[in-house]
Amino acid sequence: MIKALLISTLLIHAAPADTVELLPATVSVLKEQMSIEYIPSPVSVVRAAELSQTGISRPQGLSSRIPGLYIPDYGASLTATIYLRGMGSRMDNPVMGLYVDGIPILDKNAYVFDWEDVVRVTMLHGPQGTLYGRNSMGGVLTLRTLSPSDRTRPALNLEYGTAGHLRISASAIIGSNALSITFRHLNGFFQNTYKNEPCDPYNGAALRWKWEGAVKSVRLQNTLSATASREGGFAYGKWDNGQQKRVSYNDEGSYGRISLIDGLHAQFRRDAIVADASASIQVLSDQMKMDQDFTPVSVFTLQQRQRSMAGTVEVRISRNAAEKVWIPQTGIFAMYKRNRITAPVNFKRAGIEELILSHANAHIPPDIGHLAIPDEEIPVNSNFLIGTWNTALFHESVFVLGKWQFTAGLRLDYEGAMMDYDCLASLHYQFIPTMSSEKSFSVPYAGVKRHDHLVLLPKLSALYRAGSFVSLYATASKGYRSGGFNTQIFSDILQNMTMNALMRDLGVYLDRPVVSVTAGNTEYDPEQAWNFETGARIRKGAFSAELSAYAIVLRDQQLTVFPPGLSTGRMMTNAGRSRSLGAEVQLDWMPGNFRSHLSWSWCDARFVSYHDGNSDYSGNPVPYIPKHTLYVSAGYSLPLGSCRLEIDAFLRGTGPVSWNEANTLEDPFRARIDARAALVFPQWEIYLRGENLTDSNGHVFYFKSIGNEFFANEKPRAFLAGISIKF
Amino acid sequence: MKTKFLSAAFAAALLLTACGKATPEQPVVPEESAYTGTVTVIYEGAPFDNENISVDFTPAEDGASASITIHQIRFVPQMPVTIDVTIPGITLLGTAEKILLSCARVVPLAMGGEYPRYTVTDLSGEIAGDELVFSLKFGDYPTSFAGRRQGL
Repeated sequence: MIKALLISTLLIHAAPADTVELLPATVSVLKEQMSIEYIPSPVSVVRAAELSQTGISRPQGLSSRIPGLYIPDYGASLTATIYLRGMGSRMDNPVMGLYVDGIPILDKNAYVFDWEDVVRVTMLHGPQGTLYGRNSMGGVLTLRTLSPSDRTRPALNLEYGTAGHLRISASAIIGSNALSITFRHLNGFFQNTYKNEPCDPYNGAALRWKWEGAVKSVRLQNTLSATASREGGFAYGKWDNGQQKRVSYNDEGSYGRISLIDGLHAQFRRDAIVADASASIQVLSDQMKMDQDFTPVSVFTLQQRQRSMAGTVEVRISRNAAEKVWIPQTGIFAMYKRNRITAPVNFKRAGIEELILSHANAHIPPDIGHLAIPDEEIPVNSNFLIGTWNTALFHESVFVLGKWQFTAGLRLDYEGAMMDYDCLASLHYQFIPTMSSEKSFSVPYAGVKRHDHLVLLPKLSALYRAGSFVSLYATASKGYRSGGFNTQIFSDILQNMTMNALMRDLGVYLDRPVVSVTAGNTEYDPEQAWNFETGARIRKGAFSAELSAYAIVLRDQQLTVFPPGLSTGRMMTNAGRSRSLGAEVQLDWMPGNFRSHLSWSWCDARFVSYHDGNSDYSGNPVPYIPKHTLYVSAGYSLPLGSCRLEIDAFLRGTGPVSWNEANTLEDPFRARIDARAALVFPQWEIYLRGENLTDSNGHVFYFKSIGNEFFANEKPRAFLAGISIKF
Repeated sequence: MKTKFLSAAFAAALLLTACGKATPEQPVVPEESAYTGTVTVIYEGAPFDNENISVDFTPAEDGASASITIHQIRFVPQMPVTIDVTIPGITLLGTAEKILLSCARVVPLAMGGEYPRYTVTDLSGEIAGDELVFSLKFGDYPTSFAGRRQGL
């Protein structure tokens, strides 16, 4: 303590006079005016100790721990598919906002990263659109990372385990700076039997530097985060007549990412006024290579490269909350994101035969002739420049009247987007027997699409402080998920256009020509949700509870449909409506050296209206949404002289989950058990952790590609041993 | 009303030109044009009509020969596709009233190249005013076309 004070004193004196000083508190990552105890929505908090005990180091680890949250661990770091309260989809915009140190992460591709220095995770459930805006329709997840004011000692962590898992991380606070660095390696859990090698290796490093200080009466915090990773993934096994096959595909499946985020916060406080300003720059460069057919046959591949740059600015002015009846907060927000995407789809020999020639020649009588394409590969190049901009004006007033607290808020949110597309398909063809030699042929497709939307996001809530330990609340709020463009469907559009143009070039016209959507069909509007919720919060001694029940009405739901014509993919469109009814429970009981937690969620999410172009699924449960999530943990710390023995066990379950809209494929409720034993000394600890001890191999993801069905399975049993040292 | 006025003016201009020259009647000069009409294929002894078929008439630079492209023709009712067929090397003979078309035998072009299966024989026809008529045999299929110039 004396040492820390001495260091901070030295730093204060070392700083230029009257410019920079070390402050004892960090900038809040939440925007709410009230204390977390009185937020009129369910709140989940996971602290650093629990993150360390459970080994949660990526967002997928929060599945079930946060009731109703399901982020299946499959694919690669790119595929952060988030399902929450019956909402979510695997493509495009997320239903949950992610804030790291108060900065909104704009790109869903950057949602999944290693969390070594995260000291607190806070989840606000339900639409938080009034204060957090776009994509916070299901809730907001905020992470607070290590800060200089945390005053922790330098730490080094080493962990080794199954599948070549190796993690090395270190953190240190040096004056006004907090530094952390992480490296993780994994050989991989799943074997690609075609290549006879693991398909999901991982190598990644992350660096974070946070600085806190003050200039006169303005508190400042700057956080610079950089990550670089290269991994395999896409451990998808074919589902063949009810049998799960092993992973077997021939083309490369990999994902590489470099991201850089710098966020600056400034906070100015006077007696009655608090002004918060934040700005960020976000750069992301990634590349995904995918065998799109996931079979040993060379059908087609995708290489998607993104170069994204984004910036955000927010200014909030609020009244100092202490002892006031009316606590208003007004803010403005603006963001711009520019994303350059190149996504060439390569049709390989088998794909040319199966997906192009077989369809074309099926309509041409053999006695007339047949189409031949001699190319080994047909590249369908798709280049996009997508700009997205958003501006918002918001206000929220909190009124505290005795035991009652009322909140009224409104956000005026304007979002626009532009897509400049430039696509080209090139091939050689020959019609046999009429053509004596092959002919070069290409189809360009270029243009610009723009759209914009104005959304009003109101919120009304009432909270009653029923006693020292109990709060009751009811909230009605609206959230939205941004609209966008289906870039994924352009290879289908080009494929169909090429076939039609080629036939026209030949002078052959099919009675049932290939029908294709156009770029105009690739736009989709925002999805909007009204959430009606009531809940109770209880805090008494070592016991705490969060109980809530909600009803959500979802309009303009972003759903995937089959485009008309011969398509290999599906496209997002505002195809339907759904509703979710649910309940969430969180219980904590931590008497003495014992600790326990329970999270449970029930969600009945059903389509009110949904026709995917082929079938009507109205009334059916929404797929990929677990009806229940359950998480139970129990632990005990046994004092042993100068150290203690910590034993913890965790049960995590989800299900039943339906995998398709027709509900013909379903996984029952499945649970896995993790456990940890640690010997903890004042300056170091060693631990052994077991993950998925029951070796549950339940499904975590399902999809169809060119008529084949695939499942991804849960990662198998793993053991890890580690040591943490504090210097 | 405007169309009638233009037609009258055009007719008057033609009349003045003809009177001014006072020379023997010149043969009709072939010019590139498109026609719409009906292609009738005799299939198994019965006529099979392809209606609203577009036909391009494209004379060569010397005006002595031409090609005819029949768009989206179906030779037999069961054909699941329609195709474009081009008949090259048609001999033209201009008279004062019409252009006579003839071709004894030629391999048509379709689907990117020569299509000998439907070799054209015995083609004869004429362009008189705004009308194009011709008959021929596509392989074993007697075929005829009668149509009017497009855009009238």
